Amino acid sequence: MPIFDQGYQHWSGTLSGHAWRWLAITRRGVKTALQTRWVRLALLLAWVPALLLAFVLCLWGLFERQSALVEMFKPMLTQVFGMPIASGPRDYRVEIWTLCFHYFLAWELWFSMVLVLMIGPNLISQDLRYNALPLYFSRPLRRIDYFFGKLGVIVALLAAVIIVPSILAYVLGLLFSLDITILRDTSKVLLGAVLYGLVIAVSAGTLMLALSSLSRNSRYVAMFWIGVWILSSTVSVVLMSVEHERRMSESGANWQAWGNEEYLQKEIQAAKSDWRPLVSYTSNLSRVGERLLGTNAAWERLGQLAPPAQRSTFLLQLMGNQYPWYWSAGVLVALFLLSIAILNFSIKSLDRLR
Amino acid sequence: MPDALFQFAGVTKSYGSIRALDNLSLRVPIGAIGLLGPNGSGKTTMIRTLLGLIPIDSGSGEVLGLDFRQRQLDIRRQVGFATEDECLFPHVVGVEFVAYAGELVGMSAADSLQRAHEVLDYVGLGEARYRKVESYSTGMKQRLKLASAIVHDPKLVILDEPTNGMDPAGRQEVLALAHDLAHNKGMNLLFSSHLLPDVEAVCDYVVVLGAGKLLAEGQIQELKRLHEQTFDVRIKGEMGPFGQQLATRGCRAEIHDDQLRVRIPAGESQQLLWEVAASQNEQIRYLRPQRSTLEEVFLNAVERA
Repeated sequence: MPIFDQGYQHWSGTLSGHAWRWLAITRRGVKTALQTRWVRLALLLAWVPALLLAFVLCLWGLFERQSALVEMFKPMLTQVFGMPIASGPRDYRVEIWTLCFHYFLAWELWFSMVLVLMIGPNLISQDLRYNALPLYFSRPLRRIDYFFGKLGVIVALLAAVIIVPSILAYVLGLLFSLDITILRDTSKVLLGAVLYGLVIAVSAGTLMLALSSLSRNSRYVAMFWIGVWILSSTVSVVLMSVEHERRMSESGANWQAWGNEEYLQKEIQAAKSDWRPLVSYTSNLSRVGERLLGTNAAWERLGQLAPPAQRSTFLLQLMGNQYPWYWSAGVLVALFLLSIAILNFSIKSLDRLR
Repeated sequence: MPDALFQFAGVTKSYGSIRALDNLSLRVPIGAIGLLGPNGSGKTTMIRTLLGLIPIDSGSGEVLGLDFRQRQLDIRRQVGFATEDECLFPHVVGVEFVAYAGELVGMSAADSLQRAHEVLDYVGLGEARYRKVESYSTGMKQRLKLASAIVHDPKLVILDEPTNGMDPAGRQEVLALAHDLAHNKGMNLLFSSHLLPDVEAVCDYVVVLGAGKLLAEGQIQELKRLHEQTFDVRIKGEMGPFGQQLATRGCRAEIHDDQLRVRIPAGESQQLLWEVAASQNEQIRYLRPQRSTLEEVFLNAVERA
């Protein structure tokens, strides 16, 4: 008789509750994604802007304190920010923090699109290809658990490059400023950055899952995504350029019109009602992000420092699209609902006749 | 443990105009249950109903004492299911596949990994545990599905056509595993197949479905009962004259292959056969009470329907 029977042994452990069952799918998905070298590399690269953000916020904290550590950077900072800011940096703390996060999140938006392209196409399409859905749904899982689990993979990885570095950079900036009032002044910036990160993750995640559920071939899904991301942006830019040319030809303006205040005011007015950026998926995300961070208010405050003759040019060049932010929010909500509808249609339960 | 493994009361399920389960009522005891029926008889729909995967049109029922209309997730925690279709979690090795299946049921990651190693050893895939599952043969995939179905030590294992597409050796291995689980490991088993020998090799009780209706059910040994008044007889000489002589004594004799199937009148015993043989100067070479085969039970049930 063997000392230890290697045949079937009963298991006497306990099964966990149902609420976090989706986490098993997320955990497996993240693990699988991180096994790919290119994903790991993209994650590392996506942290470079975060390091820059942390560096700038720390530098700004020292600058506010007039620390001797940044003595050597003072001439450069004065040149970059201008004399009014350099002489009273605390008065412009909110604007500088807002714009730092704005540029950081603009970079991270790009990295997010790349990461979603790398990890998203396989999430559902491979389950369809290998007929894995019966394996999921014959276990104590609902469709919503499956969707949450798959969405969790994208949210987790995007949070790792948007939300986590935002929080860490914020804390570092706070530590280097040694001023508790910074919490009062900039907590909305952090909140806006976290919310914007969630908007990107949930919007891009559901959209990618919907695309992934439409095909059993991941390559097609990747092509769909490139279409959503790059093609929509390209079409938007082309449409805006055509419209811009039309306005210029109507008013008989040329490139020298950039110095013409009347022309600039017309352009600013046009930017407030131009719908063409809505065609671009990333422009919509950016516009909502601007609203959450309060970027426009920051630019307008800084714009007041510009000479009056250059103020319009400054605002036009830096603020970009000025159409109502809720147009973009509407587009993102519509895409979200469409994605949910596609997922609901594509991922049936097993209630079908074979 | 409830005394019934599962029970249906007037369950009807339709897909459009097709009635997959037609007012099905039955009560099945615990143990190793075979689910028989031709293609399209409603076996898979019945299994999906048991697991609460599909809503039914009418009726009610229970699995392991749990209402399958209300407590689907609780049922699936206590049941392990190996599907008929080829389905895989992609891009994982065998041990990850089984461990993931355990995690989806609610096992902790550490428990499910340890348990995955154990059940892979049990099903004979220990050597292949670190191979990508896409590279497994059909037989290995079937055993992998069995391993993932039992990883959480369920009270009931449902195997849907587990020997489909397998070579004879692989088939025997799966049947041996299923038999061992049901008879030596105290696990209840629902074994769906259209292969009668497979069901006979593994199960004690059988349910026969046809066109969504219950055609027959019962202990296999009872269904294959001895027929005390019917005998299979083989003789040395011609069967025709011997049969005619038996008919004159009130017997009904039919030629089946190389033997006679003789039904003797009530109140008579097999002594009658010896008497007729002696009177005809005939030698009886083989005499045995008739026993139904499962195939006969199945075919009779299908024909009656």
